[in-house]
Amino acid sequence: MTTLTPAPEQAPPAPASASAPRRRGRRARKVTSAGPLTHVLLGLTALLSVFPLYWTAVAASKTNAELAGTPPPFLPDADLFTNIGRAMEEAPIGLAIANSVIVAGCITVGTVLCSTLAGFAFAKLRFRGNKTLLGLVVGTMMVPTQLAIIPLFILIAQLQWVDHLQAVVLPTLVSAFGVFFMRQFLSQALPDELLEAARVDGASTLRTFWSVVVPVARPAMAVLAMLTFLTAWNDFFWPIIALTTENPTVQVALAGLGGGYVPDTAVIMAGTLVGTLPVLVVFVVLGKQIVGGIMQGAVKG
Amino acid sequence: MTVPPRRRAALGAALVASLLAAGCGGSGSADDGTVTLDVGLFGTFGFEQAGLYDEYMRLHPEIRIEETSVERSADYYRALQTRLAAGSGLADVQGIEIGFVADVVQNHADAFVDFAAEGNADELLGHYYDWKVEEATTSDGRVIGLGTDAGPEAMCFRRDLFEQAGLPTDRAQLAQLWSTWEGYLEVGRQYEASPTKPEGTSFVDSPASVFSAAVYQGETAYDDADGNPIPESSDGVATAWQNASVAAAEDMTANLIQFGDEWNAAFASGAFATISCPAWMLGYISEQAGEDASGAWDVAPLPGGAGNWGGSWLGVTESSEHKEEAIALVQWLTAPEQQIRMFTEEAHFPSSQEAAEDPQVADAVNEYFSGAPVGQIFGDSAAALRFTPIGPYDTQIQEAFTNALSTVAQGTAPDDAFQAALAEIEQITGG
Amino acid sequence: MTIASDDPRVAAAAAPPPPAPPPATAGRRRRSRLTRNRWGYAYVAPFFVLFAAFSLYPFLYTAYISLHDVRLSDLDGATFVGFGNYTELLQNEFFWNAARNTLTIGILSTVPQLAIALGLAHLLNYRLRGRTFFRVAMLMPYATSIAAATLVFAQLFGHDYGLINTLLEAVGFDRVDWESGTWTSQIAISVIVTWRWTGYNALIYLAAMQAIPNDLYEAATLDGASRWQQFLHVTVPALKPTILFTVVVSTIGAVQLFGEPLLFSGNGMTSGGVSNQYQTLGLLMYDQGWTNFRLGQAAATAWTMFLIILVVVGVYGLIARRRARAER
Repeated sequence: MTTLTPAPEQAPPAPASASAPRRRGRRARKVTSAGPLTHVLLGLTALLSVFPLYWTAVAASKTNAELAGTPPPFLPDADLFTNIGRAMEEAPIGLAIANSVIVAGCITVGTVLCSTLAGFAFAKLRFRGNKTLLGLVVGTMMVPTQLAIIPLFILIAQLQWVDHLQAVVLPTLVSAFGVFFMRQFLSQALPDELLEAARVDGASTLRTFWSVVVPVARPAMAVLAMLTFLTAWNDFFWPIIALTTENPTVQVALAGLGGGYVPDTAVIMAGTLVGTLPVLVVFVVLGKQIVGGIMQGAVKG
Repeated sequence: MTVPPRRRAALGAALVASLLAAGCGGSGSADDGTVTLDVGLFGTFGFEQAGLYDEYMRLHPEIRIEETSVERSADYYRALQTRLAAGSGLADVQGIEIGFVADVVQNHADAFVDFAAEGNADELLGHYYDWKVEEATTSDGRVIGLGTDAGPEAMCFRRDLFEQAGLPTDRAQLAQLWSTWEGYLEVGRQYEASPTKPEGTSFVDSPASVFSAAVYQGETAYDDADGNPIPESSDGVATAWQNASVAAAEDMTANLIQFGDEWNAAFASGAFATISCPAWMLGYISEQAGEDASGAWDVAPLPGGAGNWGGSWLGVTESSEHKEEAIALVQWLTAPEQQIRMFTEEAHFPSSQEAAEDPQVADAVNEYFSGAPVGQIFGDSAAALRFTPIGPYDTQIQEAFTNALSTVAQGTAPDDAFQAALAEIEQITGG
Repeated sequence: MTIASDDPRVAAAAAPPPPAPPPATAGRRRRSRLTRNRWGYAYVAPFFVLFAAFSLYPFLYTAYISLHDVRLSDLDGATFVGFGNYTELLQNEFFWNAARNTLTIGILSTVPQLAIALGLAHLLNYRLRGRTFFRVAMLMPYATSIAAATLVFAQLFGHDYGLINTLLEAVGFDRVDWESGTWTSQIAISVIVTWRWTGYNALIYLAAMQAIPNDLYEAATLDGASRWQQFLHVTVPALKPTILFTVVVSTIGAVQLFGEPLLFSGNGMTSGGVSNQYQTLGLLMYDQGWTNFRLGQAAATAWTMFLIILVVVGVYGLIARRRARAER
């Protein structure tokens, strides 16, 4: 977890739960099928989970008075697009989305590389202070974001990085969570024999890393990449300090929209919808993988 | 430092990409001899919309103007503070709002060009209302910016709601009825007590409407002459609190948080009958209330005398590489002719007395507001204003008081709320 | 922290790979070669360089700032005040108010969130039709940003136009002024937090449940335990480490709660409501630093928050250890 990320955003997978590797087909009570009540309850939860997002589209297409009508409207109408247009005028949402893609992309690439390198070292290479350093990494997960931002703020002021994207990218590359995650994965998934074979073949450590470790780590890297991207896209605290609405990420633009200067609720909702849509689309496409990733992460360790 | 090549490439890519995205165009002279001036603003200064930049560039083909504007002045100020603290990254021209002009005057005057030291200082500063120049003047006489617009205040009211409640709707008559805040509260009582008052409406939008307008009508507002906060002993605070807490405690207000969602929505639904309105708020009201409410609103003078809320300056930074060109631009943008244009095109009231007395401004009426003589009402207010000392924490102190007044409207005893506000202010200013 | 950058061989990591070392003579000393590998430093270097620059240095510098009176308008004019900022904080009613709010919102959001998550995980553990659909739908809130979620819920909880009040009115209740009441505003904010995190935690619990060996349940069934008893006596004990872990993570998140109360007001105020009724520690710190520009105060608040986290997590650890010992 980066120091600049609220802890739960990067909840490290539960370490060492029952820690038995998952054995397919040995699921608990695999014979028990869900009854209708279970389906109803889960359906209700799914509805509650998705409804606020759907309501965003409804609220984005109605006036306040229409929203408060009885019965309230439950379908968006054509004004949605008018209001999206107005939101794009009020807040630089197009720019914000481009910025968020750049920021989250850079953070993801950097974090995954960094974490894989360090995670591999902690998992498989013995060097003096290995344990201590790992402890330090894990310990930083408890450090609140708040603890770093004042000096960072002064730092970017002195570097003249206020409103520049590198101010958000660089500090966020430090992901203790990522390092820990990769370490847990690699210490299980990477057999010592493979490394040994590579060494006997005379490969250098770095060669070994690229040709042996990375292929093994790939699934975990993909999971980490997805989680990191999502977290970086949704990161809030540091960006609203480092950036202004002049050159915002999506979250900064939304915070600006919600700051009381846009008088029209429908426009705020339209902006919220546009700012959230890219992630939701990705989520619908990759949802299964993300779910799998979170669940895998939870039992690794 | 050891960075594997791929990692370095990734970092490099990240940096390059972000630099590209951030559009790091430094200001400076291009090869073709043009000079680019960066203008850093917030909110709606409206120079662009009024076509002033285009005209200036037509008059001065060697100048290019690039404006960056941050929506919220609080965000803008945060970034400006950061850059001032670091002593770098400033634009050639920076907008300065009344909410933080005192901080700039007291703490960052060195970072801005002193207009009083310019050869043509009389011409630069002579056409302004005195108070406008004074607010931007340091104790040793430096002037850190030239005024753009001002916020002389009036009282906007809903003719239709007044009529239904059986109250007079004539401006002159109302001006007499509420020449003082006590009179205004009396009208409020009549409104609230009226059996024919429209259901679900309140006399005034919020206690803040009364407080923020009245506080600057005293000898002092939040600060003494040296700019040190004196919330406890200021006569302006005492009077304003007294009147505003009566309005809150007697339930005359809709108790909406100004600039919050519900407040914005309340314009359209017509939930309140009066609101203290600086000149710039007229545009806000007409936009909020919509075409349907055209002719429903009207403008009368502010109770208790003249008041000002808002207004800005343009400063030229000492770090600018094109100080002379920037000074010339600021001088032109704030000159009386341009201030008149900003009024006719964007409804920004001039801080230049010369501009405000021009018939184009002084004789202006506002159709949406039932043909109210806004040029005259706001002009009278601006002419009657006196300089009240200001300080670096005024915005935060005001918010502490108006928040406390909201709690009065929710039932807290006024004295308790006042003490709570003082405690909050002590935390803000550090005692 | 020793990053072996003074080791010339480490610098070579950045260069193309050096010629391969002579092949090892035999596999006999294999382990020892694997175990003493100074390359490790090179691999952890990128992380630790960034870590030193953007984490460690800021932590220490924050400590330094917290011992001074620093104003943003005058960074160079810092005056040393020792623990003055901390004592001022402890005597400050706003700090205690924020600490109280953080605690109540923390409890209001964490307890229901984890309880519901546990129940959902249990339901998801049955054989289901549309399994993936349910899981993805439940994780949707997790993909929604704090900013977006808060803006939407602020609308839903609106006094005059919010759907929640409309529904309350429809079933005969009065409209609730969610934002201005202490409890109501804190409940509303807790709902946002709960909405965002419940599905995520449910998946974590589900993964842990699926790792519970089946024979435990078979044994319980033979003993004649009902489903409910199985859940209580097999599932929950097996999940203890996971539950502890989610409690710790949620707590760390709860102490830092910031975005929701900032955006809930809908007008950018940093005071957390007109009577600070939902100002949390995270928001207080932002208020001190970026509204009032008192960086020394803000730094002291940040360190205090860190200490609170350490204490709470330490207490959790003690409880967990004692319970483990008691069970042995």
